[in-house]
Parts: sequence; structure tokens; C-alpha cells
Amino acid sequence: MLLYKDSRSSPLLRRSVVSLAGSQVPLQLNQAQRELTVKVVYYGPGLSGKTTNLQMIHDRLRPESRGRLLTVETRDDRTLFFDLLPVFFNTAGGYRVKVKLFTVPGQVIHNATRRVVLQGADAVAFVASSERSATADNNAYWKNLHDDMRENGLDPNEVPVVIQFNKRDLPDTKTDAEIEETRQRGTEPIIGAVAVRCDGVLETFFAVLQGAYRNMEGRSQVSKQLDLDEQTFLSQIFSRIDLGGTHLDGKLTLDSPPTTIRSLKETQ
Amino acid sequence: MSNSTARAMSDAAAPARAVSQAASAAGVMSDAPPARESVLQRRTSLADLLDLPTFTELVKGFVDLYKVGVKVFDESGTKLADFRVGNGDFCSYVFAFADGRSRCTATVARVKEGPLAAMQGARAPQVEEGAFPGMIAVPCFTGLRYLVMPIQWEGDLLGRIIFGPFTPDDLRELPASLTNIGNGFDVANAEALMSKIRRAPESTVAKVMAHFGQLVETLVAAGHKTHLTSQLHIEATLETNRELEEQNRRLEAMNSRLKELDRLKSSFLATVSHELRTPLTSIMGYSEMLSQGLAGPLNDEQSEYVQTILDKSETLLKLIGSILDISQIEAGKVRLTFEPVDVADVIRSSLSSVAPQAQKKNILLQLRVPERHTRATADREKLRQTVVNLLANAVKFTAERGKVAVALTETAFQPELNAEGYRISVEDTGIGIPAEHQDKIFQSFYQVDSSSTREFGGAGLGLAIVRSFVEGHGGRVWAESEVGEGSRFTAVLPTVPPAPRSVEISPPARSQPDKQRF
Repeated sequence: MLLYKDSRSSPLLRRSVVSLAGSQVPLQLNQAQRELTVKVVYYGPGLSGKTTNLQMIHDRLRPESRGRLLTVETRDDRTLFFDLLPVFFNTAGGYRVKVKLFTVPGQVIHNATRRVVLQGADAVAFVASSERSATADNNAYWKNLHDDMRENGLDPNEVPVVIQFNKRDLPDTKTDAEIEETRQRGTEPIIGAVAVRCDGVLETFFAVLQGAYRNMEGRSQVSKQLDLDEQTFLSQIFSRIDLGGTHLDGKLTLDSPPTTIRSLKETQ
Repeated sequence: MSNSTARAMSDAAAPARAVSQAASAAGVMSDAPPARESVLQRRTSLADLLDLPTFTELVKGFVDLYKVGVKVFDESGTKLADFRVGNGDFCSYVFAFADGRSRCTATVARVKEGPLAAMQGARAPQVEEGAFPGMIAVPCFTGLRYLVMPIQWEGDLLGRIIFGPFTPDDLRELPASLTNIGNGFDVANAEALMSKIRRAPESTVAKVMAHFGQLVETLVAAGHKTHLTSQLHIEATLETNRELEEQNRRLEAMNSRLKELDRLKSSFLATVSHELRTPLTSIMGYSEMLSQGLAGPLNDEQSEYVQTILDKSETLLKLIGSILDISQIEAGKVRLTFEPVDVADVIRSSLSSVAPQAQKKNILLQLRVPERHTRATADREKLRQTVVNLLANAVKFTAERGKVAVALTETAFQPELNAEGYRISVEDTGIGIPAEHQDKIFQSFYQVDSSSTREFGGAGLGLAIVRSFVEGHGGRVWAESEVGEGSRFTAVLPTVPPAPRSVEISPPARSQPDKQRF
């Protein structure tokens, strides 16, 4: 299953071109401190694996490029508030780029917190469980995500969303063909994952960061303001991550960032 | 109120300021309304993250233990902690000389505000083993020494820690940069004062400092978590509040719109039924003239036809009358006018108006009234209509050769009303009302059988009017029934209505279609 072939036909890119027309949310660029903050939110139903995604990214990042994984209030392994993982690097032009990864609390009652955390997001990774029984939940949270975006003044058509179908290893999950059908129904890139094994986690991270960059570029021309192109942005982060065993391994150098992300099944 | 709560609240109360600062700092302005900015977007300062009293205790404990001065500054140069040990007298002595003063000021400025890098007189610390990234050693012109170390969080510089001054154990004699600060400098005195300052190897102080740095980082991590939690709690609460207010507004708007629609409907019904009644009375008048032969004699067939027109017109007139009544009730236009009445008289008069229909169906009408007169205060006409409606309803749903009985009690204490009152009950041998419908039949337009092929006609307003009138008198009405056996409607009314002159009648509940039917 080919998820998307190259960046020129990626829906994310098409989006960012469209979004040049109307940019509302200002870039979190602090010229005085020469600092750009990129906000990525992992959204999805409870127990779909959002926190696990952040833990895996944390484990594979070089300590000097990340902060602590802050998990604010948990009970019984469930996030009651949110998680936060900061990732940072300096550009050649002397800018500091901070990528802040957030998860939202999945439980239904925390609707207001989810909305607060989602404010000003540059891109969203929607973590869905592949289990058949999770379909209704996935749909409900998908709708919730769009409602929350609108409430926050974000245009759901402009904020890039990457869908991760997590828990591919569990029994009674959707088949690849069904996931392909889901993909056909929309424009979002879809990535299969087994987050507890870090399968698909970095691929999702890559896709969502790519989306975030293109969103910021479309809104505010980051490449000009910071002298930071997409390849450099991505490789600055991914060169600090242990990519062993992932599909990004060996494909990411400064000269040739990966333009193809394939599903897990194809290469396994 | 604790310090941190006060800070939290003032932060939450000033999001607009934060937004405008962020927007101007970002240098990217847009005409769009500023997004509400969350604590998650704001930069936090060291003071936000540390609980100052706790932190001060920690620093003091350290200073007591290691006998070396410690200062902590945040990123903007604000002092968060400052403890000196032993150097006060020495530094005051040096400071008394003009050259000493200027050199001292320069050193302090270098330590406090200079770059955290091995430049401008600073160098990496001399340590035997390990490395302490970010730490620098700043020699003082007196031969004393400072160690300076950044406080970092998520790669941001939040502030700096300064250890010292301490006397490095490799200092053999006072340097010329100290001894030449002015005439009259007393070396022996200076040495004596300096001996009060902690003497230690630089590498030892560096190790202690590194340990202190770890503690600070732990405090910052905990503080960061608490800060974000409390701030986000506030934001989430505000968000929930905003959401609820919005919902309230929407509901209020919807409610007033519905009220307006309801009022329009009632007023429309009132107008239309009035306009229908006028031509209908003409139709009836002319039909009556025809049937009386005023336009020439009619044969039997013609008479029968005209009589049918009259009968149907009568039915239509009653229906229009009910619609007018209910629409007036709903529009709040009906007022009850109370006067002393003999209830038995009212019931007798009601019986006479349903007698023709009863006779047609061969239904036996029974009346039971007490021997003593039941006298009460009531609106005579409304009370009459109440009984008529109950009787008409009973006759309508009772098969031929059935029985309808109306009974009146004497006035006595009525537990339902907790007052003195009387009961009027109308009992029939009709088809009965299924239990699930018994509490709904008093709603406007409600029909037990609402199919288009139903056997019994009517608009479903008679009982709604009954209830409005009975409740207008401060009474209650209910139905008991057994399907196939018959029904009994009981109205219990107070002898003296609560508001004795006149009351406004509240409209009866509307018939609600069930939302989930399966």
C-alpha cells in the first residue's frame, strides 16, 4: 500500500499552496529572541496511543536536542491533562527552532482541555486505533477535532492533519484494504503504526512535521524569514533521531530527504 | 491567597496583554482577531517555575553546608536568591578604595551579566575529572574567584547561578591587581579579612555547583509541571465557562423565538376562527330560514338535506369555538370571573346541552347531586363548559345504549387541594383509555387514536380546555380508565378559588411528539 508517492502530489503541499490566499494565525516567530515555535498536536480518542508516540520519539532523540517528556497528571496510565515534549535546534542563520509536541487528553470529559491544547497548532497527528471496535470513537473524535479547530479559529482545511492507524498488530483490526478505503475518502496522509514498537511513529512524526513546515511556509514564508528550507528543517530534527529500523533510516540526508513513505506491510 | 495562586490569577486575567506582546514581538501582524493565547504558547520565566520560599530555603541550606556564597538571577537579571558567607568585610574594605570600587563593580557586572562563555576574562573551570558544560570561572582582581553556571530549560536560558567569591586554594599571595588599588592598602588587614572567606579547590566548588545545578533543574521541572497544570486548569475552566455561556445564549434566543412563534400561532388561530365563525352563522341562519319554509315549502328530502347542513354546521361551530377558546387560553387572553354559584344548577344546565346527542345514541344520562346545595365561588360559564366538555367527551366515546353518569359531592375537605372543595365526576361505559395515554389526553390536540381512519372526530381540544379551566379555579382533573370497561373523569375544585376575583389561565401543556419511537 503506497501512501503517497512524492511530495509534489502530496495533499499537504496542495494545501499549503491554497492557504497562501488567507493566512489568519500568525507564525509563532519571535524576532527579538530569534526563535520560532512550531506546535504539533497529537489528537485522538482515549487509549489510542498518543502518549506512546511521544515516549518513542523522546527515547530516540538525542538528549541535548530535547527537553524532558512532561506528562501532566496521569491516572491508571491515562493522560488526564496533556503531555509535552519539546524538540529544538539552531539554524545556520542563528534562529532557534523549538518544536513542541503535545498530546491531548483522550477522555470525553476533557473537551475544554483538548480545545485549549489545540490552540495555534501548526499541524495535527490524529492517532486512531485500527481496532474495528474503535471506529465509532474515531469518527466522533474526528468530528470533535474539526469542531475544536473551528472554535479556535483554525481552518480545518488549512491545518495539515496526518492520520496514524495505530495498533496494527492487534487482532480484529481493519484490513489494509479497508484502510485504503478510508484513505480514498479524504486527502490526509495515512500511516500504519504499532506505536509500542516504534513502528510508524517516526514516519508519522516526519509527515506531520512536513505538514507543519508547509503550513508555516504557506502562511508566512518561513524559508525567507528564517532562511530555513524544508529539507534543512526536517533533517535538522531527524539527524538527531535514532532512525534504526524505521523506513526513514538511510533515506534522510541533507541532500535527499525522503519523499516517499510507505506503509509497514509493504516492506515487512 | 498564596503567591503562586495570585500569580496564576493575574496571568489568566491578562491574556490580551500577552497576545499583544506576542504579536508585536513576532513582527507578523495581521488584521484577524488575535487568537486567545494559552500558557502553552507563552515563554515561562524562572520566577514562574520556582516556588520562591522553597527555593530560598534550598539555597540557604546549601550555603550553610558548604560555606560559600550563592546568588541566583533570572534571565532578565532579577535577583531570586542571594546569600553571602564571609566575604562582606573583605569586600567592603576593598570597596572603600576608588580603584577597588571600580574594579569590583566591573567584576560583579561580568559575573552577573556577562556572556556565559569562556571570554571577557572568563575561562572554563579547572577540574580534575568530568566536564561541566556551560560553567565558567571568573577570577576576581582580588585573587578570589567566582563560578557561574546557566540554568537551562528546554534549551532556553532561564537564568544563572553564581557561586562565590571563594578563595582558590592555589592562591599563595595577594595579587598586584589588589595591592595596588590605592595608597594605604593594608596587606595584613586584607589577608586577615580574606581568611574569613571559604578556601577551597576550584574543582571541588565546581562539583558542588554541578550538584546544586541538578537540584535546581529538578525544582524547575517540578515547577514547570505545576505551573502548566494550574494555568491550564484555569484556561480549561474559562473555556468550559465560555462554552456554557454560549450555549445559554443560544438556548435563550431559541426560547424567545419559540415563544414568539407560539404567540403568533395563537393569535392567528384566534383571528381565523373568528373569521370562520361569521360566515358560518350566516350559513346556519339561511339554512334555518330554508328549513322553516320561509323561502317556500320544502319536500321531505329537501328538509332532510337542509337539516344535515344545519347539524354539520353546528358541529363545525363547536369546533371553531374550541379552537377559539384554546387559542385565547394560549394567548393568555382568558380571564375567569368568579361569582357565587350553585354547582348542581350548573351541572343540570350542562346535561341539557348534551341531552340531544345522548338521546340520538340511546345513552342513559344519570345525575347524582347531594341533597344539600353545593355552593361555591366559580366562573359559572367556564364551569359549565368544563362539565359540558367532560359530558360530550363521555357521550362521544360511549357506544349506543351505554350509560353516562355525572355526580357531584357535598363540599368537604379535599386532600388533593389541601382545602375545602367539591368533586364532579363523569363516568361512562365507553371504550376506555389505554394507561399510557391517560396523562396525555389533557394536552392540546392530543388524540389517543391519531390515525387518519380514526372512528371519533374532534380536534383534541375539549379536555385541554377542561384542564385549563379547572386549574384556573385552583383545582385538579384526572382520568381513570379500564380499556373496554369505561372511564371516569374527576375534577376536584376548591369551594373558594385561591385568587377569588379573577385569575389568568396558563395554557395547557402541548402535545409532544415522542423523539425516539423505536
